[in-house]
Amino acid sequence: MVSKKVTVTNPEGLHMRPAGVFTKSVAVFDSDVTIKFNGKTYNGKSIMNVLAACIKCGSEIEIECSGSDEEAALAKAIELVQEAK
Amino acid sequence: MKVTDLLKENAIALNYKPDSKNALYEKLVELHDNAGNISDKSEYMRDLIKRDEEGPTAIGDGVAIPHAKSAAVKRPGLAAVTVPGGIDLDALDGEVSNLIFMIAAPAQGGDTHLEVLSRLTVMLMDKSFRERLLSAGSAKEFLKLIDQKEAEKYGSEDKKAESEAAKQGLKLVAVTACPTGIAHTFMAAEALEQKAAELGYQIKVETNGSGGAKNVLTRQEIAEADGVIIAADKNVEMARFDGKRMVQSKVSDGIHKPEALIAKIADGSAGIYRHHGGDAGAAAEKQGGDGVGHSFYKHLMNGVSHMLPFVVGGGILIAIAFLLDDYSIDPSNFGSNTPIAAFFKSIGDTAFGFMLPILAGFIAMSIADRPGLAVGFVGGALAVAGTTFASLVDPEANIVTSGFLGALFAGFVGGYITLGLEKLCSKLPDSLEGIKPVLIYPLVGILLMGIVMFLFNPIIGALNTLLSNGLNAMNGASKIVLGMVLGGMMSIDMGGPFNKAAYVFGTAAISEGNYDIMAAVMVGGMVPPIAIALCTTFFKNRFTPNERKSGVVNYIMGLCFISEGAIPYAASDPLRVIPSCIVGSAVSGALSMAFGCELMAPHGGIFVFPVVENVVGYLIALIAGSVVGALLLALLKKPLGEAAGLKK
Repeated sequence: MVSKKVTVTNPEGLHMRPAGVFTKSVAVFDSDVTIKFNGKTYNGKSIMNVLAACIKCGSEIEIECSGSDEEAALAKAIELVQEAK
Repeated sequence: MKVTDLLKENAIALNYKPDSKNALYEKLVELHDNAGNISDKSEYMRDLIKRDEEGPTAIGDGVAIPHAKSAAVKRPGLAAVTVPGGIDLDALDGEVSNLIFMIAAPAQGGDTHLEVLSRLTVMLMDKSFRERLLSAGSAKEFLKLIDQKEAEKYGSEDKKAESEAAKQGLKLVAVTACPTGIAHTFMAAEALEQKAAELGYQIKVETNGSGGAKNVLTRQEIAEADGVIIAADKNVEMARFDGKRMVQSKVSDGIHKPEALIAKIADGSAGIYRHHGGDAGAAAEKQGGDGVGHSFYKHLMNGVSHMLPFVVGGGILIAIAFLLDDYSIDPSNFGSNTPIAAFFKSIGDTAFGFMLPILAGFIAMSIADRPGLAVGFVGGALAVAGTTFASLVDPEANIVTSGFLGALFAGFVGGYITLGLEKLCSKLPDSLEGIKPVLIYPLVGILLMGIVMFLFNPIIGALNTLLSNGLNAMNGASKIVLGMVLGGMMSIDMGGPFNKAAYVFGTAAISEGNYDIMAAVMVGGMVPPIAIALCTTFFKNRFTPNERKSGVVNYIMGLCFISEGAIPYAASDPLRVIPSCIVGSAVSGALSMAFGCELMAPHGGIFVFPVVENVVGYLIALIAGSVVGALLLALLKKPLGEAAGLKK
């Protein structure tokens, strides 16, 4: 299992469009992707979960991946959050 | 932000069968329009479509949340449609959508729409909740389901958030105003600003002083404010505060009790203000201690403050005319004998002619808002004309103008006639709404006002004549006593109701041609600041360094007839300062009367001295009063000890 912390820089936070892109892009990995935010854990492959987390601009989230391709999944997930527009 | 704060019953449509995505969106936009969330349907629709091109908004499990940030959105809102048959909105899971929530977010929305999105999805993750929503029988039931669910999920969080918001970061707006608009207005503004800063709240205070409104509140500031504080003794523009939490009070409460006013907003005990066009709505929201007396005073002062410029300008011009004229040419035509005098006199007379109609008009406007103005104005003019039913029949009948008293009467009666009319007309169908202010109020109001004035003119005229004759007949001792009382009154509260009562009496006397009263009143009002200034100069050890520094300013305040300059001193040591000032003012008022000084301008201080009748006597009265006040103050006030850091 690997994990990394990342800060959301998109001024609108992880709203519907970036959340949709995120969930869709990590769904292709075999690994489980979870987002830890505000003391709670959310399924990173479910748009409803990501939206429910209400991740605003400037929030620090921790992404955790576990599975056969966890390294690749984590790298992709971090990239998605950093580049989210 | 609660979902149920954003979703209104009239923005929910159940069991809808759209034939296309476009039709569905149009329906939702219409619902937003119903709820008053958007200002421009087509612009909002365009922004929605633009947003849609960036990716689907159907998030699966039959839920779609289309949304757009748009300049066409007036306030954040939600609209909801259920489509039991489902509609294809390109959901991620490939299913059709049947629960559609549309978020309208203002262009400068911040995080609101993200929060709403989050709450909606959290609630909608519950399958049984989705099924219950779909089978809701009415919009009301739909809303109730959401409310229950939200309370279950977020209840404790919302309560905490509400109480926290109450504690920190309140945004306030305030308006301060007083009749003269020189001192109290700004003192109240400063007190409110200081207290708010102390409590960590933001505040912006608009001051409606004599120079017009300064630091005017914008619509956005009002919209963003958590509450409005009105500390005013005259009417301020209220329609813009409709729907805001509001505290209304006297201007003096703004100066002395800013904390109590702010607390009323902070703890939520202040009521919501509803504007009704007239004063009735405002009165209902007023807090205790703000009874009939205060509203009477406020209406009167609204009239007086609008009347003053006419009296000042007219009075001084007329006085100049007398100054330039040659009495010996024709004593009965004094003031208009030479062309240059006649020039000043005719301008001044014209300005004076507006005095009473303006007084009555603005009293009525204070009571009944704009519709009252015309009614009161005409009433005031009829009071001046003194027309009666008897004089219509018999042109020879003796017409007696009902003067100042008549104008006061006309102002109040006119205001309440208009209020009454508004009440009666509220039963009329809405389609007549438009013609009420342009036809019914002016026509019926002025007609009724006319009838009342024709009826009452003889009575008030007689009363007015009696009063006038009484004043004229006063001589020697009684006039001096009158001057003493009026002068003293000017110092009792330095610009408060006592001061204003004496002042209004002085202006009223001007309109009746008794100029000596105004002279006594003005000199009485000039004494307090000068007496205090003298005392700070010659008895330095009675004052703190700060008090001494502002003492110099008080010379100027006094010479300009701004009694309010004495307030800071009076407030810090009322039991010594006020009696000294009262005695000083009473002395000068009495002397002014004794010397037969006359003043035709109701304001101006030293600047109108050139037009004062018997100016030498007047100066003596001023100096004598000020010296007496200063000496008395020095006697009453104990020298401050070394502890206060002063050299003996």
